[in-house]
Amino acid sequence: MERQVTREPGLLLEVDDLHVRLRRGDREIRAVRGLTYRVSVGRTLAIVGESGSGKTVSCRAVMGLLPPTAVVTGSARLEGKELLGLPDAEMREHLGADLAMVFQDPVRSLNPTMRIGAQITEAIQEHLPLSRGEAGRRAVELLERVRIPLAGRRFHEYPHQLSGGMRQRVMIAIALACHPRLLIADEATTALDVTTQAQIMELLLELQRELGMALVFISHDLSLAASYADEVMVMYAGRAVERAPTRTLFAQVRMPYTRALLEAIPRLDRPAHSLLPVVPGQPPDPSAQHVGCSFAERCPNVRPACRETAPPLEQHEPDHFWACWNPCQVGWAG
Amino acid sequence: MANVPTDERLPLGLEALAGAPAPARTGRWAGHLDVGVPAAAIVLLFAACFVWPTLLPLAKPVGGNIFEANLGPLSPGHLLGTDTVGNDVLSRLLYGGRTSLETALAVNLIGLFLGGTIGALAAYLGGAVDAVAMRGLDVLIAFPALVLALAIADSLGPGQGHTILALSFFAVPVFARNARAATLRLRELTFMTAARLCGTRTWRMLLRHIAPNILPQLLTFGLLSMGAIMVIEGALSFLGLGIALPDPSWGNMIFQGQQSISATPLLVLFPSAFLFVAVLAFNLLGDALRARWNVR
Amino acid sequence: MTATAAPAVSADRLIGRVAALATSPSLRLAARRLVIAVPVLWGVSALTFIVMSVLPGNAAQQILGVQATPAQVHQLELELGLDKPAWLRYASWIGGVLTGNLGRSLASGQPVTAIIGQRLPITVELVVYALAVSVALAVPVALLAARRPGGLADRLSMGISMAGLSMANYVLALLLVIALAVYLPVFPAIGFVPLTESVGANLRSLTLPALAIGLPLACFYTRLLRADIADQMQEDYVVTARAKGVGPWQVLVRHALRNSLFGLLTIVGLNLGTLIGATVIIEQIFSLPGIGQAFLQAINNRDVPLIEAIVLVLATAVVLANLLTDILYAVLDPRIRYGQRPD
Repeated sequence: MERQVTREPGLLLEVDDLHVRLRRGDREIRAVRGLTYRVSVGRTLAIVGESGSGKTVSCRAVMGLLPPTAVVTGSARLEGKELLGLPDAEMREHLGADLAMVFQDPVRSLNPTMRIGAQITEAIQEHLPLSRGEAGRRAVELLERVRIPLAGRRFHEYPHQLSGGMRQRVMIAIALACHPRLLIADEATTALDVTTQAQIMELLLELQRELGMALVFISHDLSLAASYADEVMVMYAGRAVERAPTRTLFAQVRMPYTRALLEAIPRLDRPAHSLLPVVPGQPPDPSAQHVGCSFAERCPNVRPACRETAPPLEQHEPDHFWACWNPCQVGWAG
Repeated sequence: MANVPTDERLPLGLEALAGAPAPARTGRWAGHLDVGVPAAAIVLLFAACFVWPTLLPLAKPVGGNIFEANLGPLSPGHLLGTDTVGNDVLSRLLYGGRTSLETALAVNLIGLFLGGTIGALAAYLGGAVDAVAMRGLDVLIAFPALVLALAIADSLGPGQGHTILALSFFAVPVFARNARAATLRLRELTFMTAARLCGTRTWRMLLRHIAPNILPQLLTFGLLSMGAIMVIEGALSFLGLGIALPDPSWGNMIFQGQQSISATPLLVLFPSAFLFVAVLAFNLLGDALRARWNVR
Repeated sequence: MTATAAPAVSADRLIGRVAALATSPSLRLAARRLVIAVPVLWGVSALTFIVMSVLPGNAAQQILGVQATPAQVHQLELELGLDKPAWLRYASWIGGVLTGNLGRSLASGQPVTAIIGQRLPITVELVVYALAVSVALAVPVALLAARRPGGLADRLSMGISMAGLSMANYVLALLLVIALAVYLPVFPAIGFVPLTESVGANLRSLTLPALAIGLPLACFYTRLLRADIADQMQEDYVVTARAKGVGPWQVLVRHALRNSLFGLLTIVGLNLGTLIGATVIIEQIFSLPGIGQAFLQAINNRDVPLIEAIVLVLATAVVLANLLTDILYAVLDPRIRYGQRPD
């Protein structure tokens, strides 16, 4: 398959000042408030945050998969080409071919009355000029590539005949059907058990290496990010609050929020039955206007300045961005 | 039956029990038009058919003078004209409407209470009772409504009482099925198990827990079936077996009008229009309430 | 990458199909429905008999009318075997039904089976035509409406369909006659031309009746289908399809409609009784020599054996049609056809 060579070698996705406003009934929700990041070819970015932080919405905005009532401003460029505001027909040419997504719930994300094979060949034939037979062969190859045994038989089966882990592999096969440059995995392993989770993540990384893709995976699980990502971006209340290469982030956590997330991860070396340190309070109401730092109410490091102005995301140390007036000074050990 | 997609969402009563606020409407008048307009139409209809004849001067619906036959609308003394034997059309429309509305109301009430109880009881008691009840209902529902009604009306003879009875044979099983589905949904809920564990007696369960929760669903269903019953009663009367001439009913007026359809199309159009408006109003109201109460 | 044999290889596919059918829950479901249908059919026959032969005080009296002398009434009673106890009469009637002898029409003397045999095909054709009309209209309109929920097509079609389903089919029939047979003589107002004579004329003679029955049903189906499609469009698999770059119409038809059709199938099945019942009045209006018209004539003539037989036939038809719908559903829905399989 022929592909054009990237003009700027390395940089694949550039997101600048992304804002997303959604409508729920007659309320307007500011789901994403000024998000900026970069993803390079062959690299893995983990976007981490709690529910409602805007991580899923931001990625769907980039792919143009939000409902038509959503208002998206800012810029998202794939290899230099602006994706936001593209007419539907043009965006559809890129969807699946250049960027693809794997969704969270494999039970509901596959059409229950359509055979697995057909769902894969649909993706193939949408973008590649292959005959039905050729598309079918390619689909079986994809099923084998995602390590589904008896691929030829599975091709004719329906989603409910497969286990959760296999369904997720099928989702991956669908996403990879046309060898996209960028793969976004939206909580792809959240619905799976721990063992399967590890298998799927290994598979994703392996495929990334083989195909030379960039991988963005969204999760609420920091430990997952620690194990598999090159770079981690932490989101809170629609903004990125900290971003750094994985090693750097975990060695020197600066944002109190990130620090709190890390401390909430259960560890074996804590005394048994001790209370898990949780972050008190709730994320702010996304439909309300907010002055100052969104985390101020729950932050252990809060200062008066925090309630007045929201801190900008800036590169304070080489390769380490954070948005905080009063970051943690001591590195987090562990 | 295979997976029936109908009757599957929860009735609103549950939310009321949980203390949740009713679904917020926009608060402007426009938001209530969907209920207001059909409700007003229905009230007007009832007023016209029940109040006007008793309180205001109106010609007699029967025993008209043959010399006054086939007068057009806006004739002196006959606002909408007269029919082929000289009866006043407006009067027949209103008295006929009264008959049609009464009949449909009676049938629906019987269906609601008798059918609703049977269905809820069957679903609640479950087991053999439910199985037997279901088969019985299946048998009744297997008969096309019109066919069953005709056969029964034929056995019993024409007349309003017999018509009500004949149509009830159709309405009771349909309501029962609806109530059964709703109660089955309810049974799954924890508050039901809690009540049962407290040792609540069956009748109390039915009255205090089940009835209020399935009532919204049954009521909206009742509103929607008002239209259907009126249409079937019209069909029965049209065919000569419901309300017998010369007593008017919209159905037999349409039949009469058909006899002279090319000469006097208005005699068909007037009762048809009234029937249409009545059915439409009930359907709109039922639909609006169903959406509002979030019932399937 | 290793080369693989084409996925359409017969061995794999065949193994899959055979295994699926043998352990198929569909088969068990179908068998179960069949078994349940039997007592229902029995109940249908019992109820028919009770309504027609047990309820009326004196059947012979009713048949002969008020002028009959007691001697005449008694004579008829003996002839009809009305002096025997009810269960015995039922048994002999059922015996007759099962051996294909439904008695003779009191009005014409013809064997009832012959009458029904003559008229049934016409009613069947009408029912099929009306069904085709209703579905053929409902699907495209529902799709157009669901394409842009809240849009013009949606609001217009929902409004019109609400009016349409509030229209009684006999009223619609009369209006259609006024419009399309009297003012614009496009279709015949009454009368039937059999298929054997001319297909075109046959269809023309059945079009207005089929429209009268089918249009209100179409309105009803449109509303339900549109709601179902709109629901399906909210599902996650639709987002997956869009993420593949599939266009909006293909998503609507290939994904949402496909899943909505099951609901439609069920509703169509549930409404078959209404459809069949409607033929009674519509055949009367259009003078179609079908079962419905025979039914009405029998009622007017107090032709008890014929009435009984027709009611039985119609109710049985409904039970069987519902059974067929259930089975069809079980076969078509892959979630039922291929149950859960462990890996």
